[in-house]
Amino acid sequence: MRIVVAYKWAPNPQDATVGRDGRVDWSRTRATVSDYDAVAAELARRVVDAGGGEVVGVCVGPAAAGSGAARKAALPKGYDRAVIVADDRLDHLDTATTAAYLAALVRRIGEVGAVLCGDGSTDVGAKLVPAYLAGLLGWPCLMEVTALSGAPGEWVVERAYGAGTQQLRATAPLVLGVATDAAVPRAAGMKDILAASKKPVETLTADDLAEVGGVVGLRAGGVELIEARPPVLRPRRHQIFDGEPAAAARDLVAALRTEGVL
Amino acid sequence: MNVWIIVAADPAVHGLADAGRSIASASGGEVVAAVAGPRGVAEQVARCGVDRVLWFGEPGESPVEAYAPVVAAQVTRIGAALVLAAGRSGDRVLLAAVAAALGCPVLTGVNAVRAGNGAGPVVERSVYGGIAEQTERLTGPVALVMAGGGLGRGESAPVEEVAVEAGQLGGLTVTRTTGRDAASVDLTAAPRVLAIGRGVRRREDLPMIEALAAAARAGVGCSRPLAEGLGWYPRDRYIGVSGQKVAPQLYLAVGISGEVQHMSGCRGARVLVAVNKDPNALIFAEADYGIVGDLYDVVPALTAALEQGSAA
Repeated sequence: MRIVVAYKWAPNPQDATVGRDGRVDWSRTRATVSDYDAVAAELARRVVDAGGGEVVGVCVGPAAAGSGAARKAALPKGYDRAVIVADDRLDHLDTATTAAYLAALVRRIGEVGAVLCGDGSTDVGAKLVPAYLAGLLGWPCLMEVTALSGAPGEWVVERAYGAGTQQLRATAPLVLGVATDAAVPRAAGMKDILAASKKPVETLTADDLAEVGGVVGLRAGGVELIEARPPVLRPRRHQIFDGEPAAAARDLVAALRTEGVL
Repeated sequence: MNVWIIVAADPAVHGLADAGRSIASASGGEVVAAVAGPRGVAEQVARCGVDRVLWFGEPGESPVEAYAPVVAAQVTRIGAALVLAAGRSGDRVLLAAVAAALGCPVLTGVNAVRAGNGAGPVVERSVYGGIAEQTERLTGPVALVMAGGGLGRGESAPVEEVAVEAGQLGGLTVTRTTGRDAASVDLTAAPRVLAIGRGVRRREDLPMIEALAAAARAGVGCSRPLAEGLGWYPRDRYIGVSGQKVAPQLYLAVGISGEVQHMSGCRGARVLVAVNKDPNALIFAEADYGIVGDLYDVVPALTAALEQGSAA
């Protein structure tokens, strides 16, 4: 069987700065493979270890996604090989275009039994790429997946459902959004990292997937930026209560009663 | 300009209908809801202020996600300028399938959408975990994820059933459902919220937290790791950019550092209080009041102070 796992090479917005004009400065951030993508890779690895086949990692991102550092971070997560579209024209892509490139990769790889994705990316966290990708492929999509077993054509999927869980059977290839706590990703040891460095990696540019613009029929544009800004923050008092916990607590409670919020 | 509202089993979409109505009426279009789920859901959606509801029949053993292709086919057949859905996981799956069929962008973090002055609807949204906000004009069909709002209580719009054959539902079958019914708390309606983060070290410490919540008559929420991974609370208690967004009278953040992804879920609070042992914790920059100290001392002290006050 062949399972494709999508991962993203992206920075944490917590480390970025925003100018007065709302422009985000990523220059001091460092990209990583998202923690949640590693969970998806772990789930795929376990299924393929049980039933045979291969796990193929795929990534769409800026040129840095194809760098040695990015490959070294990604491959030990459990992929047998990877296909990376690394192109600075694909930096900070929107959901629809990301999904379109992933769909092109899935078709190019061929005979894929399932695509697994992390819960949401580190930088955007939209939680929409899996379902959009599924729509483009014409496959079903399930999110919050906590377990996967079986094989293509006879998948058994478990997912979080309200406060409980649901088990489903799927007779066709699927796209799955994996819950953040579905599995604890393996910690890669020296041996894994060395083995990973020998795994085949195919690196492509956007031109190699030029069909994305045409075949998928994506409408260009549709969203025009008018204005951007840092979040509008309410003015806050910034009053700190000092002293022993008991005294500070009493002072705080008194202040809150005066505010009328208690 | 037709506005579509896509519903996967949860009928609380009054906010989407209001937004849709303001866009549609500015351009002479209609607001149509596409509902996957039991008939009762379609009937509740019909009372949200939409013009009509298309309902895809009783799901039986099919999960709502199986309806993605048939919902997408209806929307593309009738035509859509704007497609809205709430952020719940089933809604997202159906919405993205519709957007894929339309070949249009899909945006999240939407705080508001309005008709704009003739050049297309205008959207206000938070981006990148909440570190920036953007105002954007929509010049073509777009799908938006935004807060659903509550239930509708108005006149019922007509509900039309769309015939669906089993073969159209993509080979997905539910074989078992467990533990669905648990009392869920609507934190967005709570006037006071006590939220805890990783400063709370062990599950055994939660009774201390619950005692403070009881004394403050506050609902309890948490940061993401406590609801996922640690599993101390169900997912509907997680407050943050991809969880609940609350704007209570009082938000008491205990052991929470104040990272942007959490703050975008709570910075609408009228009064924000932080308890954290790190004086440089980011959260103090957005707090009205704070105590720098060990929450294991401060939380019981607060509980005592609150109980004293009410006894007086």
